[in-house]
Amino acid sequence: MTTGQREPVGPTGLDRLRDLRSRGLLETSYDQVAGLLAEETLTHGGDGVSGADGAYGGPYGAALQRAGRLLATLDPDAVLTRHPGTPVLTVAVTGQSTVAPVVDPLTAELARHGMLLRPVVGDHGAWLRDLGDPGSPLRTADPDLTLCLLDAETVFAQVPVPWRPSDVERAADEVLKRLASIVDAVPGPLVLNTVPLLRRHTHQLVDHLSRARLSVVWREFNTRLLRLAERTPRLVVVDLEPLVCAGGPAVDERLACYAKAQLSAGLLAGYAREVAHLARALRGMTRKCLVLDLDQTLWDGVLADDGPDGIAAAGTLRGEAFHGFQQGVKQFGAQGVLLAVSSKNDREAVLGVLRGHPDMVLRERDFVRIDADWRPKDRALAETAEDLGIAADALVFADDSPVERAQVRHGVPEAAVVALDEEPALHLTRLLADGWFDTLRLTDEDRARTDAYHSERGRRALRENAGSHEDFLRGLDVAVSLSPPLGHEFARLAQLTQRTNRFNLTGARMGEDELRERAADPGRHLLLAARSSDRFGDDGLVGAVLGHYDGDLLHLDNVWLSCRVLARGIEQACVAAVLAAARDEGLTAVHAVYRPTARNERARDFYRSCGFTIATHGGLEHDEITFGYVLDTVPQAPAHVRIDGIELGRRAGAHH
Amino acid sequence: MHITSLEGFLSLVRDELGLDTAGVEAADADLADLPGWDSLNLLRMVVLLEEHGRPVPVHRLLQARTLQEIYTFAKE
Repeated sequence: MTTGQREPVGPTGLDRLRDLRSRGLLETSYDQVAGLLAEETLTHGGDGVSGADGAYGGPYGAALQRAGRLLATLDPDAVLTRHPGTPVLTVAVTGQSTVAPVVDPLTAELARHGMLLRPVVGDHGAWLRDLGDPGSPLRTADPDLTLCLLDAETVFAQVPVPWRPSDVERAADEVLKRLASIVDAVPGPLVLNTVPLLRRHTHQLVDHLSRARLSVVWREFNTRLLRLAERTPRLVVVDLEPLVCAGGPAVDERLACYAKAQLSAGLLAGYAREVAHLARALRGMTRKCLVLDLDQTLWDGVLADDGPDGIAAAGTLRGEAFHGFQQGVKQFGAQGVLLAVSSKNDREAVLGVLRGHPDMVLRERDFVRIDADWRPKDRALAETAEDLGIAADALVFADDSPVERAQVRHGVPEAAVVALDEEPALHLTRLLADGWFDTLRLTDEDRARTDAYHSERGRRALRENAGSHEDFLRGLDVAVSLSPPLGHEFARLAQLTQRTNRFNLTGARMGEDELRERAADPGRHLLLAARSSDRFGDDGLVGAVLGHYDGDLLHLDNVWLSCRVLARGIEQACVAAVLAAARDEGLTAVHAVYRPTARNERARDFYRSCGFTIATHGGLEHDEITFGYVLDTVPQAPAHVRIDGIELGRRAGAHH
Repeated sequence: MHITSLEGFLSLVRDELGLDTAGVEAADADLADLPGWDSLNLLRMVVLLEEHGRPVPVHRLLQARTLQEIYTFAKE
């Protein structure tokens, strides 16, 4: 909230990284690397006078580039020996040209999120074989993510000399056909990219009409690439155009010519950042809540000093900059990002502004929590996470004050910290520099999330006034329906499995494709979507049950339940309903499995609470526990949960 | 950093590329014999030297056999 404060000086995160490496301690200390790279953000954050340093440029970009070079010397196996719990991402990288230079920035970007890269790099120019041949090293590595880096040469390598735009069009068609076949062949998540049109090509044409024609052909190529992602959920096409616009140049002609490295180091850095955030989304690590400072962050001025008439978020030059930032934040709020305030201010004054100040785009109801008091901000953040039922590593904190940022950084190290500064015109750029909230698909539940949290407030009031927990649950009037997913529900279902950590009984995550495959075979597989509502509102799709049949047996492979609705008896009610329906189907017993993860400890006894007995304990893999239930009786379902419908769909044909 | 001396250049390479270049004999060793060397280091070297304000003839650097040779280009 105050300008002119400087951050503490001392060795930077990068200095300490270099020191660890020179002492041979980098692998041993890998658990500290994410923190050291985050320190770099503090060091280089807010530097508004140097101008718009874009998505990946600026001093922080340079520091990360240097960190990437150092970290690429890491031995992943040595890291895993010392830190077996480190999340590893096996990434296959191929493309038209020399693609290995993406490994350094990708190593650094993943390290920022505590992940460890295991790269598998294909042969120069061999993307078609690397990806099309099931026996290729890239395919047999069973990667978590496959990157196929496209560049202008992907098309121009097929173009004769001299050429006309129609030659480029033919070559682009051919490339698209090959890409479409690759998209079908690669089993896991695949990343392609649009290809920037280079002046090197446009200006080999001397007449403007032909140049325009080439531009059209090129954009059609990129458009059709982007369209491929519309029909294949596991394909992501990263559009390089916004990255080039923010940072350029797209290519270093010397390295392109001599080393066949067709994409510049800066562009690869930006690309690597997008990929790392995609990896976070695939791993269920998408951040969920944006916590904002107010003075000099959402408005110009200091409310406690200047009063409500002295602050501005419209109408003045600087005010308009804050207005633009508020609009960007509002945009996030409309897409499922929870918004919260942490401000050193008097609460009543803040509420007065949010309710009545004419400049505000963001209003009280846009926030799920407002902390306006004089406590340290790390405490407000910790309570926000607790209050919203999310982990501290789901928080993003944005503040213009280096002192507040440092305080939060050390008090809540799991929170991501966005450095704003005294230049509000750059606030939005800085917030968007990282795709903290990137997700694969947005669902109706996402769009309604803020309202859902407000309903939660009503529930809380009920809970506080209820005599006992049982009274509260009875008063809630919970209703649940279970059936195979409807056509439009698959995206939400996949997202639920990817985002749910606490009540995810095996830690498994499912792609939309996999879920559709299971649903298409209801005779063998059980896949149910659970939707819940109560007197405060409709929660939509909140849970999933996955299983398979084996003769008279039903195996429950996993159950997921959104943490928003945990501890209302819904999970027990779902399983009881499934058991009853299974018995009605003539099945004799149900098996179930629990595998501990870092986050699902509290669900360890879930199946026993449903009447299952432990069958085996501490299996060879993952310390899993298996449970059994004989269907001669069905368990007591929680009386306060009404089951509005249960349909296993076993005999039904396709349900979509 | 100080690319004005061979020692300075070697310590830059050590700090920035994580290569073990202790001792001046590393300067004359064949690049392929340096522990941890891979050919990508030549591309990294181009970027690194230019970060330090030393534009280099890329085609010559890519064909260099020793750190000493690269240092010579960087000094030119």
